[in-house]
Amino acid sequence: MSTRLIGLVFAFMLAAVGCSREQNFDEKVLNLITPQKIKGFDPIYAADLYASNEIGKVYEGLLEFHYLKRPYELTPNLAESMPEVSADGLTYTFKVKKGVMFQDSKAFPNGKGRELKSDDFIYSIRRMADPKLQSTGWWLLDGKIAGLNEWRDKYASAEKVNYDEAVEGLKKIDDHSFQFKLTKPFPQFLYALAMPFTFAVAKEVVEHHGQEFQNYPVGTGPFKLEYFDNSNRIVYHRNPTFREKLYPSEGEATDEAAGLLADAGKKLPLVDKVIVSIVVESQPQWLNFQKGSADLLGVPKDNFDQAIVDGKNLHPDMAKKGIRLSMVNALDTTYVAFNHTDPLFKDNIKLRQAMSLAYDHVESNKLFYNNTATIAQSIIPPGISGHKKEYKNPYIGRNLEMAKKLLKEAGYPEGKGLPELNYETVGSTVSRQQGEFFAKNMADIGIKIRISTNTWPELVKKTNTKTAQMFGIAWGADYPDAENFFGLLFGPNESPGSNSSNYKNANFDKIFAQASIMQDGPERTALYEQLYEMAGNEVPWIYGMHRTSVTVYQGWVKNYKYIEFNHTQVQYLNADLEAKKELLKKF
Amino acid sequence: MTTYIIRRLLYMIPVIFGVSFIIFVLFNVVAGDPAPLLLGKHATAQQIHDLREQLGLNKPLFAQYMDVVKSAFTFDFGRSWATRQDIIEMIRQGAWPSLTLTIPAFMISTVLSILLSLVVAFYRGKGIDLTIRFLCIAGQSISSVAYILFFQYFFAYKLGWFEISGYEPEFPMFLSYVALPGIIWIVLSLGPDVRFFRTVILDEIYQDYVRTARAKGLGEITVLLKHVLRNAMIPIITYVVIQIPFLILGALLLESFFSIPGLGGITLNALNSSDFPVIKAMAVLSSIAYILFSLLTDVLYTLADPRVKLK
Repeated sequence: MSTRLIGLVFAFMLAAVGCSREQNFDEKVLNLITPQKIKGFDPIYAADLYASNEIGKVYEGLLEFHYLKRPYELTPNLAESMPEVSADGLTYTFKVKKGVMFQDSKAFPNGKGRELKSDDFIYSIRRMADPKLQSTGWWLLDGKIAGLNEWRDKYASAEKVNYDEAVEGLKKIDDHSFQFKLTKPFPQFLYALAMPFTFAVAKEVVEHHGQEFQNYPVGTGPFKLEYFDNSNRIVYHRNPTFREKLYPSEGEATDEAAGLLADAGKKLPLVDKVIVSIVVESQPQWLNFQKGSADLLGVPKDNFDQAIVDGKNLHPDMAKKGIRLSMVNALDTTYVAFNHTDPLFKDNIKLRQAMSLAYDHVESNKLFYNNTATIAQSIIPPGISGHKKEYKNPYIGRNLEMAKKLLKEAGYPEGKGLPELNYETVGSTVSRQQGEFFAKNMADIGIKIRISTNTWPELVKKTNTKTAQMFGIAWGADYPDAENFFGLLFGPNESPGSNSSNYKNANFDKIFAQASIMQDGPERTALYEQLYEMAGNEVPWIYGMHRTSVTVYQGWVKNYKYIEFNHTQVQYLNADLEAKKELLKKF
Repeated sequence: MTTYIIRRLLYMIPVIFGVSFIIFVLFNVVAGDPAPLLLGKHATAQQIHDLREQLGLNKPLFAQYMDVVKSAFTFDFGRSWATRQDIIEMIRQGAWPSLTLTIPAFMISTVLSILLSLVVAFYRGKGIDLTIRFLCIAGQSISSVAYILFFQYFFAYKLGWFEISGYEPEFPMFLSYVALPGIIWIVLSLGPDVRFFRTVILDEIYQDYVRTARAKGLGEITVLLKHVLRNAMIPIITYVVIQIPFLILGALLLESFFSIPGLGGITLNALNSSDFPVIKAMAVLSSIAYILFSLLTDVLYTLADPRVKLK
């Protein structure tokens, strides 16, 4: 009986193997992979990259980053044009595009989406400030819009928040124009309006779905959500009421030759359907890509040698299948932070310099980044104004002799008298290996390192309470402005703020405060470069790398170009079905 | 027996108090502060304070503990702090994929293990016994991750017999997604299960009643199936039934590698983000399941062996 049962179950399971999803050539479908569970579609919580990428398919903002132009350039999206900015840099007047429709939803009368109006932006900005909602993007607006902090504070302990109460800095002019009034000049404000936090939501939809709003996104964007299981799969269809938005007809000089302008002037989006699968582990990500079931993938570290040869070229086996490679510098910096509330580091620059000189960046690049990263000389990655290409940090580049000399001058000859130092890291394999590598490097000059592994919440707790002595971490740009990086060393941002190393330097703070409110231009760039050098020479951290984003994509995927702020990218991608049919035969 | 069952069910009350206390202490002592995690990298001290206030983390510890106890008894676990989803709904959604993987695999592996252990007991000391024992030990010596990586690469990618990853909740679509992880589960379970069941059966095989049965002229297979297996049922029931609550929690590694959206992933995500309401719900529900299945084990003893009386 049992044997027959087992046989039956096995036979059934094997028969069911044929019941899987097949490739569909009737419509243009993009199959994408995301490595993390999606927390939901509420724009005000779009703090992580993966949620932002999904939000950006359904919702839109006033501005966006031009898909092709580099350096990154803001361009109007739901705004009719770039805003008019008053001479004092405090008032921004926006005109909203007419005829833009929210997607159909039962939250609207008769289920038909209504036109987007300036009220929707004012409402969406207020949601970010709503003290009951605790938006993860509040930092972008905190203290910047006139009257908004007061409104937030007024309702912090009230039962209900009054959205009808006027806020000085959010002024409706008419249905299609409105004004922001800032408390002080904040040139980065426009970047905030290209970030998903500020994307437009409709009040009716928020109120209709209540606490479930995050699961029922209704925006004006290019795709409409069809299916959402936040730990399995997300399916979108082309939004039938999407406005006349066209593929750009200009970009970088090389874009035309790269075929990136072939779809210039075509109506977006270019594909009919997008399927996003949540695949956490790197092996199934890689195997799905290799099988042609995924169209685009960041190359997992363990599969690097299967994808890349000579550190920069696509592996011939992959090239034969028509697969393409993109390797572009990401806007990020990895580092080992010193806790500057610890007198050991705060008052001893020579110790920090010695440790930086003992660190083997070249070997680290080989071991952990497949030799694709750029060694960081200071805090700002290349590609952002303020990065000084010609600056060579005198304390980067392994020099044990000099390191030992500085260690002696620091008062710890051969490490004598220096207590064992604690290096905090998260418990992942690579992070632990990086900790071991760091400890080995420091041992070469006589410094003993104890490695403590933590869960991410534990590490955050330690940095926020200033109890982590040293820790390995990375920072990715929120927007392409050096202010976003320099803020990590700005004294007033100390823990639990973004300056988690608690570095304080009055001169640095003074220049930062001056530069951060200046409009982009040669004068501000000069100040940024001054900060860049200061951040290098002072060695507040041991700088690591500016990493390279290594992406492979299938030959049938058209218009792929790496973009750091890629939450609106998918609408520009195209799929060549004929090429797909042919290329899949090679898989 | 009814009195016994009622008494055991009443024991759940102090157990839930105890479990609530342990998870409360662990959360407050060991886990990180959820507020900065939830607010992201730019959180200010004021925001962290305000969010802690909203989450009830600034209340006196005793009041916080009573909140935990209350939710454990009312099953009102609220919403996840990390995803803001209704927790009961999250568990309901995650339970189906987990159970479609674990229950068939568990049932097959248990039946198969008992059959194999009867075979090795029948041939005890002979080549087939030695070979199966060797394979069990060798199989157990290899990491489960190695099995997963190899099976996924070879059977799903190279041979294309199975899906590499993913899940469809509809029947029979899900079978193609759970088949390979299910087979891996069975392979991983066979080693320890066969060795345990073999020991249990061999303990019985040398008992007086077995000799009596043989003396009466019963065949070896009849002796094994009708007498030995029946008397070995008590440790087998204990071993098998007590595993069932853990099936509900899912198979963390298998779910992760095969992208099956089950409860294992939900629990892991909750631990990684200090999502206390979800951790609390999973801990309370699994404790209750454990108590209920322990009780079921006791009841099954009376069916397997009429000499056992529950008082």
